Amino acid sequence: MKPRHLVWLRRGSQVFFLCLFLFLLVESRLPQDIIVDYTQSMEEAREIRIEHPITFFFQLDPLVWLTSLISGHLWIKGFFWAMIVLAMTFLLGRVFCGFICPFGTIHHMVSYVKSSLRGKKLFHANRKTPSQKIKYAVLVTVLFSSLCGLNIAGWMDPVSFLFRSLALAVLPGLGNGLAEFFGLLAGSDIKIFNLMSYGEMLVWPVFGFDFKSFQTGWIIGMLFLVTLFLNRVRPRFWCRTLCPLGALLGVCSGFSRLGLEKDDDKCTHCQKCIMTCQGAAEPIVGVDWQAAECLSCFNCFDTCPENAIKFTFRRSGKKQKLPDMGRRAILGGLAAGVSFPFFGSLDGHIHTTSSASLIRPPGSVAENEFLKRCQRCGLCMKACPTNAINPTFTEAGMAGFWTPTLLMTQGYCEHTCTLCGSVCPTQAIQEILTREKIETPVRIGSAHFDRGRCLPWSGNGPCIVCEEHCPTSPKAIYFFEDWVEGPGGKRVKVKLPQVDLTRCTGCGICENKCPVRGKPAIRIISAGESRSAKNQILL
Amino acid sequence: MNPISSPITRRDSIKKILKFSGCMALAGSPALPFDLSRSVLADTGRESFIVDARGRTPGFTIRDLTRKAFDAAGGMQRFISRGDVVVIKPNISWARAPQLAATTHPEVLASVIELCQEAGAKKIRIADHTIHGASRCFAVTGAGSVAKKTGADLVFPRSSLMKDMQLNGHRLSVWPVFTPLVEADKCINLPVAKVHSLSDLTLGMKNWIGAVGGRRYALHQDIHQTIVDLAQFFNPTVTLIDATRIMTRNGPSGGSMADVAVMNRLILSNDPVAADARAASLFGYAPDDIGFIRLGKKWQLGMYDTDVPLQREVSV
Repeated sequence: MKPRHLVWLRRGSQVFFLCLFLFLLVESRLPQDIIVDYTQSMEEAREIRIEHPITFFFQLDPLVWLTSLISGHLWIKGFFWAMIVLAMTFLLGRVFCGFICPFGTIHHMVSYVKSSLRGKKLFHANRKTPSQKIKYAVLVTVLFSSLCGLNIAGWMDPVSFLFRSLALAVLPGLGNGLAEFFGLLAGSDIKIFNLMSYGEMLVWPVFGFDFKSFQTGWIIGMLFLVTLFLNRVRPRFWCRTLCPLGALLGVCSGFSRLGLEKDDDKCTHCQKCIMTCQGAAEPIVGVDWQAAECLSCFNCFDTCPENAIKFTFRRSGKKQKLPDMGRRAILGGLAAGVSFPFFGSLDGHIHTTSSASLIRPPGSVAENEFLKRCQRCGLCMKACPTNAINPTFTEAGMAGFWTPTLLMTQGYCEHTCTLCGSVCPTQAIQEILTREKIETPVRIGSAHFDRGRCLPWSGNGPCIVCEEHCPTSPKAIYFFEDWVEGPGGKRVKVKLPQVDLTRCTGCGICENKCPVRGKPAIRIISAGESRSAKNQILL
Repeated sequence: MNPISSPITRRDSIKKILKFSGCMALAGSPALPFDLSRSVLADTGRESFIVDARGRTPGFTIRDLTRKAFDAAGGMQRFISRGDVVVIKPNISWARAPQLAATTHPEVLASVIELCQEAGAKKIRIADHTIHGASRCFAVTGAGSVAKKTGADLVFPRSSLMKDMQLNGHRLSVWPVFTPLVEADKCINLPVAKVHSLSDLTLGMKNWIGAVGGRRYALHQDIHQTIVDLAQFFNPTVTLIDATRIMTRNGPSGGSMADVAVMNRLILSNDPVAADARAASLFGYAPDDIGFIRLGKKWQLGMYDTDVPLQREVSV
């Protein structure tokens, strides 16, 4: 195969996997035209699921597999894909980075299309620097932290990072902007603009049939922009310097059979190879080629005008040089890896008290176990049809930053819906059936009234919207009729709502629909959640 | 090609003019005021009737029952003209399976759509501003499969479809309305009969709370009057109350078969008050017991079922 073909093959593969990633991202929602044959639903409640393999990229990611295996002792669904990727790396080097990784492809595109560096500057930027050791420190941190019982891979794992950024920041940002735009058009008196507002129907499926918004979305979005901007400092800055998955694959590629051979005699020192090098892996003559840094993009192979660079298979099991990880990076990573789990438990949320505002999705495992599994990828948040599941900010403390929590002012947990458990790639939220959820019942918290704000309790008039919406049967919110003193000393007869804690599942539709906005008169706290033995109210 | 060598023929120029004017007409047609459709809808002076259809023979089909009810009222073509755009407002607000009686039975919905199609309706839309997530509601209540089977449009409630409108009610003046429900030639109200904790019952007139947007849960603070305000604004061509099975407790959400009673009844009327009054009797209420029925009569939206001049009972 000619080098030219190899480069085009790589580009084709990159585009294919990026498109596949985006497609699966967009499909991570309940479709509008989902049809359940009602003759079947009359027999039994049917589970509604997303048909596409939306967790595919998480199954492909060896870091997700390893960290959940180390911390949660969990063999995730479809982990053999990750094993295939690892096997491929042992054989061919970091081809995942060069050919598959969608985040890498985006960085590749940004640094290629909008290159800020030329000539000498680019030459220096593409030389190997000590900063490339940072990624090994990140990898050691992530792995060691997993070993100590806190899985923080999701903060830096490229698949989780990209999914979270696109699903929770980029798509909602664009969506809300477009919704504003179409709203303006719809409000216009000019007929043609008014008609154009129906364009919303076209973009509507892409944004999940709703224009959602997420807590801390701005932080997620800004970090994403920063990683893109860093490509102006050095091409593929993320892949070379920060990516823990890249580091993991780099370590494995030390055993790779495919290696770069330089022909010193042919080389004319034109330095074209280094100008196109994506991984700063030193393809030039005079220094050692860095197998662990090479992203297998085959640009040098293609560019070299003298054919002085070749990729060849080594027959013998001759080991390549181990990656230049640096002792300090490893020690720093070890220290950080131990510190994170212990600092994370300092606020007491895990071992002593449960945070009242942390409402985990239905089917979530106990907090301790949850933090061992959750990849903070945002898949459950993207899939949640009511926008209830949001990334945490302070609710779960430092250890649980960006793990899912339910914000009932944004959405609520639909009584018959079990989608989040079915999409979770690492079973932090376990897949449950609707029947199970209703009949057990699976509780995510419990409701309580704020009588000072509640319209009937404060004598401001009839309401009981909460009771109307309560989905359990018999209802967990009941009422009794009584006279209360209203404004001006007038006595009014109203229906006064109360919560039956034995029935309440904490779904939060009462909080969501309460006409008292901002801080509703009925609110959900985590007390009573099924997943915790400690966090219970009733005997 | 040299344009001189092929002069424009008369036929060509006529074709061009027709194409051009056709395009202009198409572009301009949405500019027609939709008040037109409202005025068509409000055919005043129609004689009130009420049809009470019961399924008595074991194994009867809901399809036959619906057909019989409309036949007794003079057939669907009495209400729907050829080429009409028809909008149907079922109650599919809760993601509940059909047998739980929280939503309009899909068979009733399908049969009504079929009758409309037979009467020559050009386009049939199903529209409801759901309480639970719309995708789920469409799937679980069976409305999605009905739409697919019959070819009717299922309108997804989007915020851009809510527009502020003058309701001219006693309590409500301007409120955001789900526009597909007013942008049609004919409108069929297709509620399910069930109990409700605040308004006692959810019937035809209360169904219109599912036709508005905005802060609609604030309507509960004066629920009976706001129901009547909405009912006088929407004023459907005909109301068919689905009482094939009714929810007798834990309304309006239900969720258990213990809350459901099978009645095998359909109530069809062009008088919204009469339809609700008759359906209220299924729950053992007199019309005066229910605030919005009483107010509906007071504000002259209609009369009680016993006063309706044309009463029919049919059964299959």
